[in-house]
Amino acid sequence: MTPVIEVDRLEKSFGHKKALRGVNLKVFEGEFIVLFGPNGAGKTTLLKSISTLIRPTRGRILFKGKEIDDGSISLRETIGLVSHNTLLYEDLTAFENLLFYARMYGVPNPKQKIEELLHMVGLYHRKDDVVRTFSRGMLQRLTIARAILHDPPVLLLDEPYTGLDVQAMKILDDLLYNLKDGLRTFIMTSHDIQKGFEHATRLAILHSGEIVFDKKKEEISVLEFEEEFWKWVKEKEPVF
Amino acid sequence: MEVGKGKRAGFLRQVFYIVAKDFRAELRTKELFNSMFLFAMLALVIFNFSFAGKMPVRVLSGAMWVSFLFASVLGLNRSFVKEHEKGCIEGLLIAPCERSVIYFGKFLGNLLFIFLVELIALPLISIFFSRSEIFSKPFELAGILVLGSFAISAIGTILSAITVNTRTRELLLPILLFPLILPVLIASVEVTAYIFQPKGSIIQWLRLIGIYDIIFIIVPYLLFDYVVEE
Repeated sequence: MTPVIEVDRLEKSFGHKKALRGVNLKVFEGEFIVLFGPNGAGKTTLLKSISTLIRPTRGRILFKGKEIDDGSISLRETIGLVSHNTLLYEDLTAFENLLFYARMYGVPNPKQKIEELLHMVGLYHRKDDVVRTFSRGMLQRLTIARAILHDPPVLLLDEPYTGLDVQAMKILDDLLYNLKDGLRTFIMTSHDIQKGFEHATRLAILHSGEIVFDKKKEEISVLEFEEEFWKWVKEKEPVF
Repeated sequence: MEVGKGKRAGFLRQVFYIVAKDFRAELRTKELFNSMFLFAMLALVIFNFSFAGKMPVRVLSGAMWVSFLFASVLGLNRSFVKEHEKGCIEGLLIAPCERSVIYFGKFLGNLLFIFLVELIALPLISIFFSRSEIFSKPFELAGILVLGSFAISAIGTILSAITVNTRTRELLLPILLFPLILPVLIASVEVTAYIFQPKGSIIQWLRLIGIYDIIFIIVPYLLFDYVVEE
């Protein structure tokens, strides 16, 4: 079976600093892989590389067996990204933001689709409000709506729970459960072991730019995984 | 659920969407247009007070273009800053479009704002400087305004994209832009002076602006991918 995404000996350096050191990862259709790792482990760099935002220094990324190159326009059509930033224009309303992205992606019946999504994320009543007036939780919900606007088969989520209150976390949980349909593939980075474990079908730990742990969820309990995670995080702590 | 459906919009359509998005945001805040327009007018008022009598045409066209250039810098400086707020540039970079779509969208948006400022400023210039003959050749004047502003926007947009990630972007943009735009500025002043008071030939100046416009629309098209790459 061809993986949806294959990361092959991926390296990325920023000047002298190596952010990724030969990452190998195969993600199959319908999988929900959660990448854990301490700050600076390379999680965001890996997601940015997969989403074509940054060019790898060495190695390859393959999408359904085809290498991602400069002209990966069709690949970008198949990816939805939730990053640290909202990617939303503060001077546009929620509806205008989604309409802009819907048009860029060529979403059919964009207005109807946007209304459906705004209902889904519970923001329909704020659709004509400019985004700068939204709370963090509302912004994150709108960000998810933006990311799934074009029904991407691959969803990349970079610490989507960061900064959310309990209610916003619940809404995000429900959204993710609704999106898990067995066809969509997820790669999510997280610091929250409970949340990550809850959603994952596969768990991985990225440490100092390398994948040091990669197992299916059924092969490990949450406690064992937590132990494993802390083992790697402690290893990163400086020794005085 | 069926995933990954949809038909991608074409190049020009995507460029239009970016222009429309910028225009809509600007209509709501008017922060860019207001500051550009006010700056242009203030510069013109200062020029007006500097000349006690009637200003010679060459000086008038020089004052016009210097004011328009200074006002443009304000708009160009903000052009990519807005895209970097909340990481919107990433949203554009992962959109299924050629990266040059982003350049052309921003370029056309900037050109539109510069041209609008010029159009509204012209009647006021005519009143301030008591020069009703400014409108004696409206098409020729519109032509040179478009050609000159085209170069300012084309060069300014790519430089704005280059400088946006630097801490001193407000300083760096004019420092890089002014030497590059100087030949076009001189040529535009010459052509505008000729429109107000025909004397000599302007073919070489028009040719210079034309060459600049072509070069600075092709070069960013080829380089923009590398400029926006992290």
